[in-house]
Amino acid sequence: MDKLGNILHSLNFFYPEIALTLTFFILLLVDLFFRKSKHLLPVLSLIGYVITGYFSFTTPNASGFLFSTGMANVGLYITDSFAFYFKLIILLSLIYTVLFSILSKEINESTENRGEYYALLASFGLGMFLLTSSTDLITIYLAFEMVSLSSYILAGFTRKVPRSAEASLKYIIFGAVASGVMIYGISILYGLTGTTNIYLINFYLANQNYNTLTLVIAGLMIIGGFGFKISMAPFHFWTPDVYEGAPITITAVLSVASKAAGFAILIRFLKVAFVDYAATNLQASLWAILPGFQWNDILAVLSVLTMTLGNLAALWQNNLKRMLAYSSIAHAGYMLSGFVILDNQGILAILIYFAIYLFMNLGAFFIVMLISDKLGSEDIDDYTGLGYKAPFLTVSLTIFLVSLTGIPPTAGFIAKLYLFAALVNTGWLWLALVGVVNSVISLYYYMRVVKNMFLRESISTYEQKIELGHVLISFSLLIPTLVFGVYFKPLIELAEKSIRIFGF
Amino acid sequence: MFNNLAENFYMIEQYIPLILAILVALLFSLFLLKASSLFGPQKPNVEKLTTYESGMEPIRTARERFSVKFYIIAMLFIIFDIEVVFLYPWAVNLKILEDKLGFFIIAEMFVFILILLVGYIYLLKKGALKWD
Repeated sequence: MDKLGNILHSLNFFYPEIALTLTFFILLLVDLFFRKSKHLLPVLSLIGYVITGYFSFTTPNASGFLFSTGMANVGLYITDSFAFYFKLIILLSLIYTVLFSILSKEINESTENRGEYYALLASFGLGMFLLTSSTDLITIYLAFEMVSLSSYILAGFTRKVPRSAEASLKYIIFGAVASGVMIYGISILYGLTGTTNIYLINFYLANQNYNTLTLVIAGLMIIGGFGFKISMAPFHFWTPDVYEGAPITITAVLSVASKAAGFAILIRFLKVAFVDYAATNLQASLWAILPGFQWNDILAVLSVLTMTLGNLAALWQNNLKRMLAYSSIAHAGYMLSGFVILDNQGILAILIYFAIYLFMNLGAFFIVMLISDKLGSEDIDDYTGLGYKAPFLTVSLTIFLVSLTGIPPTAGFIAKLYLFAALVNTGWLWLALVGVVNSVISLYYYMRVVKNMFLRESISTYEQKIELGHVLISFSLLIPTLVFGVYFKPLIELAEKSIRIFGF
Repeated sequence: MFNNLAENFYMIEQYIPLILAILVALLFSLFLLKASSLFGPQKPNVEKLTTYESGMEPIRTARERFSVKFYIIAMLFIIFDIEVVFLYPWAVNLKILEDKLGFFIIAEMFVFILILLVGYIYLLKKGALKWD
């Protein structure tokens, strides 16, 4: 009976997730009965997300574990400020995705399944909400699968387009392997420690003897599973194909929200399970890893690999969507280096980076979507001379690309500044240097697009017709990209409040 | 924060009865299968060895491909079958639970049924139950 009481108590902190679930059901049902109305579904999704956002703000953070498993008062779920920050990012990118979808030609032309599209977007969001807050390997795996299954279908949503179907199939095959490897790692970790709760795993690893090799294998397998979601280097192969083939609205949400959820759970898992809290120096905010295996060394290698591979491959791309896919791999590499230093500064830098990455990356995808809807192509060569035919769109795209490179006065500079400063402060100078060199490499391929748009004669017969909605959404993304480059104090303060992971 | 946890770890020893039960079940069923051929009287003749002693002659292999529709029906059946699995323990314990939790416990099950009902309405409207 006490367990039941705990569940009832836990529901008080679960309103945002319940709101998302209801959004999913309502969208599914409304589509069945009101097929004619064109704007009803997106409007209902937006209302649902706003209500979810309202509950996210008003629901207090739980003072203990939710959904207790009955052993040692630990539970399956936790709401803390760290999860809240990532939930905000996920929610914002979902709202933008719905707004993009209203304007997207690609989505509106395939009218037969629009109900499922918006409903799956909500279940995708729900999975990511669950993933950011899970504290048990079982809930982590279930949430992980919920995110994956929704995104497989969404990636192939315009299934009559061959490359979209191909993207979906490739995503499923890679995803199945990744989650298979991950659940194998989970099972080994469970066999080693006798528990699936990550807090108890930490307790066991700190106090009992165990076989280090087994732990390393299990840990690497689980990191591989998360690495698939954030497109970390050896698990990044799906990214370019899926990003290129999927409808561009879905590419946008995959590159921001799904990556945010992956990062949230990667940081939570590594920090909670493998950090030695007895040896952690709280004054200097430095953590110590449990003796046996230095997880940050392998992450440093993966981070360098991820950013270098992403940037070098992006140099050769002619398709803009594909180029942005490789660039998003590179950004995952930069962000991963924030964890390597094992310091709250690094986590702070990752949080700031994600908020800024949200605006600049969604912005870039939005402009690419608007241009390719008119142009019918995402080829960089077809962008030749567009600068004079569509000045508003191309100038916006230039600002987003400049921000992605990390040049002041855009927000991208602040993101990279905080990250590299944290690296230098904690003595990881070589990693900071690799990051800076990579940023310089990225300048080439971002600026190639700008060069094509502005410095070459036009060959296309592109006709520009700017609508009010396009301008409004562009500005809502442009303003944060520019303002956070100059006035970033509120963002830093919000991030500083959010670095605290429950329990420690 | 977790000083009193050590005794809470599930040890692998706790699973030994479970493994024993699985082993016994496996061996016993194997024994039953084998026992009839070992101990039973066996007097085969041509008539006995045909596929059906009485009835139609088999005309082709029974391993045919089924229409995919059967699989859809089977999947849908499982969804509502699971519902019953949850309803049973709920119904059995309702009296005890209601004393402690009141109307909440009844409402909760209706929420669960409502969720499945949404699924049912969805597949009904999508025509998943139409045969042709």
